[in-house]
Amino acid sequence: MPISHDHKTANALEIQGVGRRFGGFWAVKDVSLSVRPGERRAVLGPNGAGKTTLFNVLTGDLVASAGTIRMDGADVTQTPMHKRIKGGLRRTYQHAHLFDGLTIRETLFLAVSGVAGGWQRFLPLKPNDDAIGKAENLAGMAGLSSDLDREVANLSHGQRRQLEIGMALAETPKMLLLDEPAAGLSPSERPRLAELLLSLPKDITIVLIEHDMDIALRTSDSVSVLHNGRLLAEGSPENIMSNEAVHNVYMGGAHGH
Amino acid sequence: MKSALFILPFALVPFFANDFWLVQIFGRALILGVIALSLTFLAAYLGVVSFAQATMAGVSGYTVAYFGPNSVDVGRELPFYVVLPLAIIMATLSGVIIGLIARRSQGIYAIMITLAVGVAFFYFTRQNYTYFNGWTGFSGIRAPEIAGTNLRDPLPFYLLIISVAMLCLMLVNGFIKSPLGLTIQAVRDAPKRVLAIGIPTTPVIVSAYAIAGFIAGSGGILNVWYQERISSFSVGLGPIVDILVIAVIGGLKHPIGAFIGALAFVLLDTFAVDFIDRERFNTLIGLVLLAIIMGAPDGLHGLAKSWLARFKKRVAENQV
Repeated sequence: MPISHDHKTANALEIQGVGRRFGGFWAVKDVSLSVRPGERRAVLGPNGAGKTTLFNVLTGDLVASAGTIRMDGADVTQTPMHKRIKGGLRRTYQHAHLFDGLTIRETLFLAVSGVAGGWQRFLPLKPNDDAIGKAENLAGMAGLSSDLDREVANLSHGQRRQLEIGMALAETPKMLLLDEPAAGLSPSERPRLAELLLSLPKDITIVLIEHDMDIALRTSDSVSVLHNGRLLAEGSPENIMSNEAVHNVYMGGAHGH
Repeated sequence: MKSALFILPFALVPFFANDFWLVQIFGRALILGVIALSLTFLAAYLGVVSFAQATMAGVSGYTVAYFGPNSVDVGRELPFYVVLPLAIIMATLSGVIIGLIARRSQGIYAIMITLAVGVAFFYFTRQNYTYFNGWTGFSGIRAPEIAGTNLRDPLPFYLLIISVAMLCLMLVNGFIKSPLGLTIQAVRDAPKRVLAIGIPTTPVIVSAYAIAGFIAGSGGILNVWYQERISSFSVGLGPIVDILVIAVIGGLKHPIGAFIGALAFVLLDTFAVDFIDRERFNTLIGLVLLAIIMGAPDGLHGLAKSWLARFKKRVAENQV
């Protein structure tokens, strides 16, 4: 059952009856969600539940086959991805898609100028360019300051994930969709990621897909559970942990920890 | 900018070479190198192998032929200072159009679609008599005289060629470090991710093709002055494949590969007839291409680079 919010401002994210079909198969079907501004929402579900497909529909990577998507009250169902990004949405990917031939500095520079404008310039970059300064700040936030001139192809898996998050934080996003940011991180890198997520400004709305329950529940104030492409349950982390239906389909009838 | 220095030794050629070596070998190699640079630029930075470079070069060549002095009764003569910018603009525009057509294509599909454009242009020039003078094309095309310097003379023409080659290399080297140049490389590496940072990919891809059109167009003007004629054969399958062969022999990963490949191609093209029949040239160049693809996939530039790295390593080991 969707959570109802009693407030006057528009929800950061409001989706109604959203579905995505591949041929005859509905990977996501009839999902409705409301996420308040500044809310931290975890989306959980077993493999194949449709979490990443839902993210792809929300960002515009995939076009919704059914339903409507509103961000800050505006209908963006048919809006191309790059325009949604300019509207304040950012995302990270489960498998880091990065610009392997560029350096960290260049990558973060593009992330800044993609939103703020300026990527169209065709004269060589000056080191004192505004966007370069912002890129270096982002590298600091993502813990990559010491490797600014390193080529992305040579980064470790953990550094690639950090860079993904740094890119998503460019030009202060309104809403962040993080697709398994802890995937592939070592146990020592995970608490650092949780710290980074907790340190983000409270007015950024975050929707997070995460298999690491510790990170998901520590960083979220509400949880939505998907199963077979449908919304199974919604509520506070405590409610979800004690929800019998969730236990049955997601945790195999037993508490996983 | 470092790789633009590669062209500098070419500036020494006039001191020891006769007119044959100056224009027919080094001049021609640099002209073909500029046109191949257009292909290498797209391959190295956008990740697309294009077959439309001879077309883009042909567009500027035909513009110069139609609006410049020629010995056929087609066209309208305009001053060179109007014709040259016009030719470059037309070639850049042809790049934009080809980019718009090929913007969603990668790999073999980009090759097929650009090849289709090239072949369509070939047949169009062959059948249109109003602007292209059909099969016969244009002859008697002469480079202009500027401020008392006749660009038809070997030395001024060679100096012009070397300047254009140097400028095009500097353009590529500078451009790839510009925001748009970085964005083009980002599209090569992860096009979806480019959208996810708020940048639409179509204008990025089309701008890359426009730059390619600009470069090929510059080479096209020099080529039509070198050949003193242009016809549908100048934009046919032969030249289309020659440019690709040059770029592959030199190496598609670095701009200077285009010039290395062009020099190797011109040397083979000129001197192979001393050893084999003219008709066997395609067999020879085919074998060279095969050897390069099998033995040095990154072309002669890649081969030289790996030799240099090995040499440096050996020197370092000896010092230890």
